[in-house]
Amino acid sequence: MWLLWAMVSARMPAVAAEVDQRALEQLARGDESALAELYDRHARLLYSLALRIVRHQADAEDVLQEVFSQVWRQASRYDASRGSVVGWLVTLTRGRAIDRLRRERVKPDQVRAEDDAREVADAGMPADLRLVTAEQALQVRAALGALPDNQRVPLELAYFEGLTQAEIAERLVVPLGTVKTRMRQALLRLREALTGQKP
Amino acid sequence: MIAEPKDHEALREQAALNAIGALTGAERSTFEAHLDECADCAAEVRAFLPVCSALAQSVPQHDPPAALRGRILALARRTSESPRRTAAVAPWLAAAAMLVLTAGLGIYTTQLRQRVRTLESQLRDALVRVDNGDRRLAVALRSAADAAAPMAILTAPDVRRIDLAGQPVAPQAAARAFWSPSRGLVMTASNLPALPAGRTYQLWFVTARAPISAGLLRPDAGGTLTTVLSTPADLPQPAALAVTLEPEGGSPGPTGEKYLVGLAN
Repeated sequence: MWLLWAMVSARMPAVAAEVDQRALEQLARGDESALAELYDRHARLLYSLALRIVRHQADAEDVLQEVFSQVWRQASRYDASRGSVVGWLVTLTRGRAIDRLRRERVKPDQVRAEDDAREVADAGMPADLRLVTAEQALQVRAALGALPDNQRVPLELAYFEGLTQAEIAERLVVPLGTVKTRMRQALLRLREALTGQKP
Repeated sequence: MIAEPKDHEALREQAALNAIGALTGAERSTFEAHLDECADCAAEVRAFLPVCSALAQSVPQHDPPAALRGRILALARRTSESPRRTAAVAPWLAAAAMLVLTAGLGIYTTQLRQRVRTLESQLRDALVRVDNGDRRLAVALRSAADAAAPMAILTAPDVRRIDLAGQPVAPQAAARAFWSPSRGLVMTASNLPALPAGRTYQLWFVTARAPISAGLLRPDAGGTLTTVLSTPADLPQPAALAVTLEPEGGSPGPTGEKYLVGLAN
């Protein structure tokens, strides 16, 4: 029974990736319902990421609107050989959120998004994906938590704050070369923890 | 430009940083130019992409506001309506147009037939997916029910705790049982000695009359176990719980050495 469950869980991310791929193909043919499907499957992840980066609910909503509008216009430009659909969506979201953050950085910090917002599953999200994401989230958080602070912090500054390596070196008062090495070590360890791939 | 092997090593080290978009300026353009001609570095970048999307999952998850969905889908709908053009058709073109139309209808019919076939095959795929989805859901529900069993016992109104202490043959062993006469028994044990071949541990309800078997226990290699057992509803009030070593498959009554004993009160 548990073995069966383990096998099913292992297969789920692959199934989810196929469904995404299919939706994107439909989108490229102009099928609007595919946009709704992609939204229902990934809006929560992308919105949470955008919110973490830009910190304001209204900005995060704008980011999501820009991302899905770009996906709608450029679905045909997605190239499966360069990564999964969700990877593409994450890259777009992160890029736009960080652009916005860099533009806004000059302004003072206003109201922070509530940290205690509900961590509940979105009713619109398919059950299979919800299980996969919840499990992966635990795995990623554990892997990040296992990194030493001097590797995790530079990585988070780059990923969530969009700081360049030079800016990170300045902020942490360490040599640029050290920043590079530590970020690379952090990514290698995460890759090993998440995919079992040895560097 | 083709990179020298030494440069290639240095560039390959930047693949991880490139995958999370952490390269900037000249570093980035040099690396991306190199990517176009180096399959090895391109593969290295791809290997880090899952890490990049995984990092997105590490943040606290928030539901987007419900209204956002409608706004985004409406946006797509608006941009999909392309402006229609009207053209004046000269009367003398009508005959020619008719010919073109007839030919066009033929092509259109073929395309429609093709489209129907595609849709039919997509429908079949979708039905298979729905079926798979149902199966997965059933599995998920079953495992959720399995996970719920200990919780149901632990929260039962009639639950009682029985601590079992290691006996002289296994002084280090210890166990704790939560027993609800109406819902069953959850037991955890640790430091049980490894089972000899052909032997098993068996848990007993020691009652005023003969001991009643509650089930077989199989600890893992480290001597620990957590198990959920169902217990008979008409079980007489037990005086104690005991774990003995018995032949494989269990015995009708305890025959072997006692490993754990705990008084039920």
